[in-house]
Amino acid sequence: MKNINRYGYFFIAPFWLVFLVFSIYPVALTFYYSFTNYTGSGEAQLVGLANYKRLLTDTYFVEAFFNTWKIWGVNFALQMGLALILAMIFSDMRIKLKGIAFFRSIFYLPNLITISSVALLFGILLDWQHGSLNMMLMKLGIISDPINWLNEPTSAQLSVSLILTWMWFGHSFIVVMAGVSGISKDYYEAALIDGANRWQTFSKITIPLLKPILLYIMITSLIGGLQLFDLPMLLTDGIGSPDGSLNTMVLYLYNQAFKYNNYGYAAAVAYGLFVITLIFSAFIFKGMYGKERKQPRQV
Amino acid sequence: MKRKLSIFLVSILLVGLFAGCSSDSKTSGNGKKDVDLRIWSFTDELKKPIKTFEEKNGVKVELTIVPIADYPTKLKPVLESGVGAPDVFTGEIAFLKQWVDAGYWENLSEKPYNADKLSDKYVPYVFDLGKDKDGDVRALSWQTTPGGIYYKRSIAKEVLGTDDPTQVGEMMSSMDKVFEVADKMKAKGYSMFPDEGAIRWFTQGDNPQPWVNDKNELQLTDEKMEYMDYSKKLRNNQYTALAPEWSPSWFEGMDKPIKVKEGGKEKETQVFSYVLPTWGLHSVLKTNVKESVGDWAVTSGPSPYFWGGTWLGVYNKSDNKELAYKFVKMMTQDDEFLTSWSKETGDVLSYLPVTETIKDDFSDKFLGGQNNYQFFLDQSTKITPGIVTKYDQQLDTLYGNAVQQYVTGKKSKKEAIKEFYQKAHNAYPDIKVPKK
Repeated sequence: MKNINRYGYFFIAPFWLVFLVFSIYPVALTFYYSFTNYTGSGEAQLVGLANYKRLLTDTYFVEAFFNTWKIWGVNFALQMGLALILAMIFSDMRIKLKGIAFFRSIFYLPNLITISSVALLFGILLDWQHGSLNMMLMKLGIISDPINWLNEPTSAQLSVSLILTWMWFGHSFIVVMAGVSGISKDYYEAALIDGANRWQTFSKITIPLLKPILLYIMITSLIGGLQLFDLPMLLTDGIGSPDGSLNTMVLYLYNQAFKYNNYGYAAAVAYGLFVITLIFSAFIFKGMYGKERKQPRQV
Repeated sequence: MKRKLSIFLVSILLVGLFAGCSSDSKTSGNGKKDVDLRIWSFTDELKKPIKTFEEKNGVKVELTIVPIADYPTKLKPVLESGVGAPDVFTGEIAFLKQWVDAGYWENLSEKPYNADKLSDKYVPYVFDLGKDKDGDVRALSWQTTPGGIYYKRSIAKEVLGTDDPTQVGEMMSSMDKVFEVADKMKAKGYSMFPDEGAIRWFTQGDNPQPWVNDKNELQLTDEKMEYMDYSKKLRNNQYTALAPEWSPSWFEGMDKPIKVKEGGKEKETQVFSYVLPTWGLHSVLKTNVKESVGDWAVTSGPSPYFWGGTWLGVYNKSDNKELAYKFVKMMTQDDEFLTSWSKETGDVLSYLPVTETIKDDFSDKFLGGQNNYQFFLDQSTKITPGIVTKYDQQLDTLYGNAVQQYVTGKKSKKEAIKEFYQKAHNAYPDIKVPKK
């Protein structure tokens, strides 16, 4: 026993102290609050499972769940599609595009703008009476009456999806390109000699070899997507207008806690969100590692 | 050797970790000696009064300004724990009712303050709002923020034949009359209001009721339901310029004609009037209007209303309550200070002993020389006290949402109201909602 060096514990102590105070304590406290009717001030009274019961029958939470998925899903499909097409073009041995570094930074730029500026910018672009988008479409004669983009549920959700795509496709593109450059050129040369066309090279070589990267993007994007909050909050009135279509799970949580002072219920919503994230992450992880285990191990 | 090195490294790590905390507490410890009074607020409005207070009493005051969006969330933990808490803090109407009942503000009805004896010296609704549910005074305010309708004199003269505030006010003394004026405006190509949201302050009609009554029941009065139809009528009859409050076109419309696209046509229209309170004159109109200065006037709408307002009180765990109340007293009861403050800023005061003496010789160039002070004081006494609840801000938003659904034709009136009930119940499960 004397061989054990106890100083190691002192070295990890700073991390653990910070972790305990700023992560574990709030998480545990939230768990406690989820069983109370805490309103932000005064005493919290235990109410048992009432908050969780309410959560299961809460139509607005269900609505928020599907909204979040719709907005994230459309955004993810577009973002990945765009990133892959761009990666395909930039990595094509036959085209050999120059200036990839330049494009990489251009594509990444929207990601550097603070989300509140993005919301303000698109709020003006998508404005009903005086927005640039409507003016352009009217000048081109595509529409005769301005469309109130942020006042129709479908177009509002689509707007958020597209803005997210615009913000994040550059990021995905960079990660995909990093993955692509990790693939040995030999495969492509061999395919070229064998007379494979572009689509075949892409679908039979690039995609299978990129699978871990794609799953990585998917998981990070999913976790970020389930926490979608800032754009829906800032684009309309902050309570999910129009017609509850921008009511996402975290926005709902925020409003329950900080607008309506239902801290106890909001804590239950937070744990509901946690369970949902856990389930989907587990699915993806299973999809990722479950299949690999089936493959024969190389010795 | 190894052991010593390890201890050394660990202590460096720990010192690094706690460096932030310790240096913080040191400065605040020192701060306590330098600063006699700490005040928290959400605007820089108090800067000048604080300077006067410092000079008068030879003390040092520290003002912390937190933007309104973060103000309640930042202030609450400080007040709960008492660490780094202010001695005096202000409250905005949006969360005032919640705070007077939360018990953070000292009970000013007790000795030595005896503020409840001042009740007849204030505009009734203002004084009433600072009371908690037991009727004890928790916060006071120096201002009153009743509203009116600001309109352009030149348009009034052209369309209505007069620009006199009393006569124009007479023409808009009920919603039906407002629509008559709106119709005349439209005939000459003007827009009555920037958008239909402008009339939301008149929703109470002649029957002002709190959103939630003593029995915890949600009250959607017939007058409030009628407001839905009024809004839709404004939209359908194209009486407005479709410029929502605080949007760029809303500001633009104050000074020049704005473009409106509707039914495949584009027209240019000038907005006749803006529904704004006292502060709207100084911080909205005056700061955005350049060309039409002097062409404005203010008059009353279908019903009196107020919008906003700042209250202040003493933190009940403060170590310096005496000085803290001295500041509150200067802000709300000091004749000399309030007179000069009011003359300088044009702020309409709620402290009647001062307003009585100064109200007669006020005139504003921006409003073509009108005595808006007198006008607003008259309005403020007409406001029914006791109809503000802690739910107001959120319920107003939810109801505004329902109205919007109806105005844009997405939902029928019945559906919109039903949804409003559902959402209100979801936000505040303890409120009893009519089952329809």
